[in-house]
Amino acid sequence: MTNLSDDQMRRLRDLVDAPDLSGTRYRIERRIAVGGMATVYLAYDEALNRNVALKILTLPDSGTDLAPRMLREAKIVAQLEHPGIVPIHDVGTLTDGRVYYTMKFVQGQTLEQQVASHANLNDRLRIFLRICDAVAFAHSRGVLHRDLKPSNIMVGAFGESLVMDWGVAANMREKWTSDSSEPRSSSKNPEPITQDGAVVGTPGYLSPEQASGVKGTIDYRSDIYGLGAVLYFVLTGRPPIPDQAVAVAIDRAIRGDFAPPRSLSNGIPRRLEAICLKALALRPEDRYASVNALSKDVGLYLDGEPVSARVEGPWEKVARWINKYQFIVIIALVYIIVRFFFLLWRGL
Amino acid sequence: MSKPLLGVILGAVLGAIDGLTALFAGPEVAPMIVSIVIYSTIKGIIAGVIIGFVARKYHSLPLGIIVGGIVGLALAYLVAMFPDESGKHYYVEIMIPGTLVGLILGYATQKFGRHPSRQTA
Amino acid sequence: MAPDHDISTGGAGGRFPATQYSAIMALRSGDQKERERALETVATVYWRPIYTHIRLRWKRETEEARDLTQGFFMQVLEKDFFATFDPQRARFRTFLRVCLDRFIQREDASSARQKRGGGVDHIPLDLVEIEKSLSGSATYPSPEDGFDREWVRSLLSLATIRLRAYCEESHRGMAYRAFERYDLDPSDSSARPTYATLAAELGTTSDDITNQLAFARREFRRIVLGLLREMTSSEEEFRDEARTLLGIDVT
Repeated sequence: MTNLSDDQMRRLRDLVDAPDLSGTRYRIERRIAVGGMATVYLAYDEALNRNVALKILTLPDSGTDLAPRMLREAKIVAQLEHPGIVPIHDVGTLTDGRVYYTMKFVQGQTLEQQVASHANLNDRLRIFLRICDAVAFAHSRGVLHRDLKPSNIMVGAFGESLVMDWGVAANMREKWTSDSSEPRSSSKNPEPITQDGAVVGTPGYLSPEQASGVKGTIDYRSDIYGLGAVLYFVLTGRPPIPDQAVAVAIDRAIRGDFAPPRSLSNGIPRRLEAICLKALALRPEDRYASVNALSKDVGLYLDGEPVSARVEGPWEKVARWINKYQFIVIIALVYIIVRFFFLLWRGL
Repeated sequence: MSKPLLGVILGAVLGAIDGLTALFAGPEVAPMIVSIVIYSTIKGIIAGVIIGFVARKYHSLPLGIIVGGIVGLALAYLVAMFPDESGKHYYVEIMIPGTLVGLILGYATQKFGRHPSRQTA
Repeated sequence: MAPDHDISTGGAGGRFPATQYSAIMALRSGDQKERERALETVATVYWRPIYTHIRLRWKRETEEARDLTQGFFMQVLEKDFFATFDPQRARFRTFLRVCLDRFIQREDASSARQKRGGGVDHIPLDLVEIEKSLSGSATYPSPEDGFDREWVRSLLSLATIRLRAYCEESHRGMAYRAFERYDLDPSDSSARPTYATLAAELGTTSDDITNQLAFARREFRRIVLGLLREMTSSEEEFRDEARTLLGIDVT
């Protein structure tokens, strides 16, 4: 038998992995990322002279649901034209039978990297609000993401936020009313893409109902939980349930067992913690009614206004007002001090 | 309420308060307090108009605060140039509070008040 | 992109369709001849990693390692070692390594171990080449790494042999020659001939070389993945092994 050298072995491995793009208008530049089922490459679109991200199933489908899932993902995202959702350009099947689609190539950082490098909380919260906009838009089109987490959010070079990886997104069967931008409570089950009992999502960011894997319990409020988990990460730099064995993480997610943000860092404002905890409520009916309600509360926090998630005591109101009008308060205090100083000076 | 109008109203109020606080300077000020308050109010209105129009044109909090401080300082200096009956000047007592009032006006007109609506093409 | 700890599952079981041949499952067949055929395939792929494992993990010398490798495969057939293999519990590769370790331990404990040979030596063990690799064994961080890497090497080697046979059968010999010259032979990428050079060597055009290479690579990939399916017994195991084969953890 041919005895291959290490170099030959490496080349042959790359050859097996590399997609055969003959018949397409794309040229592979380099591999960007690898997931469980698919690989993402930076590719060059020779027809439109631009870089794209090309996502390809790693292996040809052998009668399972991988190819339909990937095509479905592409179709779902293609319907969502929003600046906060990565746009799909093209979809097809390679000569070796692998399904692919192309999307915008985003240059920037994941939210994970952004939070690590960005110390300013308000800036991070503004990024979070843009993420909420994108998810709210998706909900208004009947689409759930179901796998919201910092590694699925890209922050571009100009501060734009894009929600990526809609691989486990679900299309709600219920049609939204045309005069409402808020989703109605669904009396029907969202169209599942997994079989009974199979858990979809990422440990650490799973809602309790996703973790339990019970069919028919997942709706837009699961995404609100996901956004709450992302907010938790924005505030603390870690997920609500940190890296653990999958079974342990699922169990903790089902019970809602995670440390409140302020127990990790008591510099986190109470109002923000309250917003985060409301979004992460164990029961869906205790969470925000919609993504817009969640983003409204975060917006109110940024404006120094009271938030719906927390009832303020009188001293808290005073502290908030002082914080909101810090500049005037300081100048007024300085004014008073100066006046008293002159009074004393005169007295001397 | 437009920014210049906000500046006028707030300038008048702060000017009046600033004038009244002159009473802290000493009992010798009391006979002149009415004129002090009037002049201080007028100073505040003028400062408010200028700062309000700057806020209307330039939407920048740091710029508004700096301009407010400079205008407050300048107008306070013009007032402080006039001595009292005994020929004494009160530069520090007038200019520092005047500057502080200008800073507050600069902040407030940037933060509050209605922006002029943009004309569409 | 979701990291590997994405826990979405594909559903129940994920077993291969009945028509998908798996040498691993054929090892448990009731038909003796089918078991022997399956063992031959498995042995061709696994003798190198097994030999390497015995040399690196158990620190045996060449002759003893050879002897144990042959003995292990003989025992697999005689004693139906793989009857207890359950694909739901472990990958075959891991199971085989555990069986091998137990075999070595039993052999060590038994003072009646005999040198095997004569009639059993049907698995050609090319020790010269493998000993060359092992002499540079500083490149293997661990015996397990050595086992995995030799497994990949065997798989790809067997795939090149099958590609050659397939190209000859389908009268696409030129495709294999182009593949051999361009993708297989060069000591490194800088030593590759240009398409024009290759076209001149093979008496064709550069465009034809492009097509021939595309054909050969496509078939090579199909053969590798087909071989991988033979070496696994379920869809999930196949995907796991594909990750190892394709080095998917390396970006």
